[in-house]
Amino acid sequence: MSHTPRDPMGQPTPLSEPLERRRFLKGAAVVGAGVAAGAVGAEFLARHQDSQSSTVGTPVAPNGRPAFDPASFAPPGEARVAVLRHTSYDVGLESAVAQGLTAIGADVSGAHVLLKPNFVEFDALSAINTEPRLVAAAALAFRRMGAASVTVGEGPGHRRDTQFVMGSSGLSDVLAAIDVPFVDLNTDAVRPVRLRSSYTDLRELWLPDAVAKADIVVSMPKMKTHHWAGVTLSLKNCFGCVPGRVYGWPKNALHWAGLERSILDVAGAVRPDYAIVDGIVGMEGNGPISGTPISAGLLVFGDDPVATDVTAATLMGFDPEKIDYLREAGRFLGQGDRAKIRQVGEDPQTDMKDFAVLSPFLGMKA
Amino acid sequence: MKRTPDLGRTLRRAQAADGGFGPRPGAPAEPEPTALAAVALGDTAAADWLAAHQDEDGSVGIRLGPVWNDSATALASFALSDPQRQAALDHLAGGQGRATAESPIVPHDGSLRGWAWTSGTAGWVEPTSRALLALRALRPAAPQIADGVGYLRDRACIDGGWNYGNRSVYGEDLPSYAQTTAAAMLALRPEDGAVFEQGMAALGNLWRGERSGGLTLSMTLAAATAHGDPMAGAVADELHALFQATAFTGDTVALAWGTIATGPGLDVFFGGSP
Repeated sequence: MSHTPRDPMGQPTPLSEPLERRRFLKGAAVVGAGVAAGAVGAEFLARHQDSQSSTVGTPVAPNGRPAFDPASFAPPGEARVAVLRHTSYDVGLESAVAQGLTAIGADVSGAHVLLKPNFVEFDALSAINTEPRLVAAAALAFRRMGAASVTVGEGPGHRRDTQFVMGSSGLSDVLAAIDVPFVDLNTDAVRPVRLRSSYTDLRELWLPDAVAKADIVVSMPKMKTHHWAGVTLSLKNCFGCVPGRVYGWPKNALHWAGLERSILDVAGAVRPDYAIVDGIVGMEGNGPISGTPISAGLLVFGDDPVATDVTAATLMGFDPEKIDYLREAGRFLGQGDRAKIRQVGEDPQTDMKDFAVLSPFLGMKA
Repeated sequence: MKRTPDLGRTLRRAQAADGGFGPRPGAPAEPEPTALAAVALGDTAAADWLAAHQDEDGSVGIRLGPVWNDSATALASFALSDPQRQAALDHLAGGQGRATAESPIVPHDGSLRGWAWTSGTAGWVEPTSRALLALRALRPAAPQIADGVGYLRDRACIDGGWNYGNRSVYGEDLPSYAQTTAAAMLALRPEDGAVFEQGMAALGNLWRGERSGGLTLSMTLAAATAHGDPMAGAVADELHALFQATAFTGDTVALAWGTIATGPGLDVFFGGSP
């Protein structure tokens, strides 16, 4: 059945092709290995259940299509992840970030870089957000590494007053001090982008120009538990790239489409190139909003978002194989096989922290 | 009320050549900023844009694939003239959010549907509030009004204010926000009783802590002014100071609410006719 893409006002318009950034163009010619994985994706869909929709318990396989376009995803290769011990936001952040990025071989020379931290919400007494000083340290590090430009972008998922979130959290001030621009991804111009995966029935997604135009997207999540998905790390953090003025506050259309399936489709569209996980202070328990701060004393850097999340989840005391969306992401979005993740920093097993979880997620722990 | 003519002038910068307003200056027009600007400025070109972009089902929204955000229809109904206005109100009356299953994790009354951001999903506080505002002003006999009031009563946080729409998850009481509390207070009325009184008290407690946001201050001022609450003066002072310092970062929706709160647009919402 044909489908005519339309602009925001319903007029027929050509869709933007799936986002291709430099890093992924390197592997674009390597195709074919995803066919079998697509079948596995169908299995995932068939047994997976929604967390918040009325279709709880109902097997869902949208249109019987393969879960992703194998031509769009090169088989995951070896990934590099660096775990650094760092216990303070007050001392040595810039050098720690530079060390981490160097360890994973980050290359941003001449690139327009978008940093996407997590500011879904703001509460001065909690640990919801990526620490603004870490965001600033990353911006400075990427500049020193030769980035053509560095921009910070976020589309808060719960609060629609982005000016309040950025001002109250301190992000506005730290970015102004180093002259780094901020883009509100909830109000940025948008373009329709064809999805490369079909875990949901969405088919296309409005994405902000700031995301579409960036050469390099760096996902910078907080290390947190999540009361619907188990953990929220660099893949789930991509939800903040989806504009609230189309999908709402919260971005409920994604939840109704299936939260974990949406994580796969959205992350598959955004495709972060690098990830920096803020685990100096993370959140355990009833995350991502109402949990308890936990001083994990860790920063995690990766050149592959799946490998980074697998490593971070391991550090949180989870068995990544038991996190459905993360295991599925390892089939097409990045490297999920721990044997193929080159750990160039601390050993995730020896630095593991036992993040407390709500009882429904005890089965995900290692 | 102190006027800030610059608010309206800044808002006009977001008007596109086709008469509509984008979410930021230079962006293509979209329904929500256009509807709010039409009310704020009494702009006929913006109203014409809304009429030209109204769907056959009466809605005005943003679509892509299966996602249809029709939540601006309520605001557009104030700017439209009959018969387009009636079509928009028909869409509101027939287009509530989905009922949800009972859940101990999110202990809401799932039978109260409210209004959703996107068609076919569950109701949330802000779209419910704007639908309630429109129906009460323009179709006061609509039976859906009771559901909307009930929805807001059910979703109120422990302090009487509102966040986006979850008051409790996994046994944790979630905090309310000034901006969404202001949205609800624009929809509720004194005759709603305790939910109104507690909501206005919560707004009075919340707004100072969130005064770094232009949208928050603008909607708070609109609600306080609409109900004659004495907090309006202090909120207005903060609004003008923040606008002078930041121009609300160019956010059209914040600018439009600020213009409404400080100008004749508020009478459109509460006087019943543009």
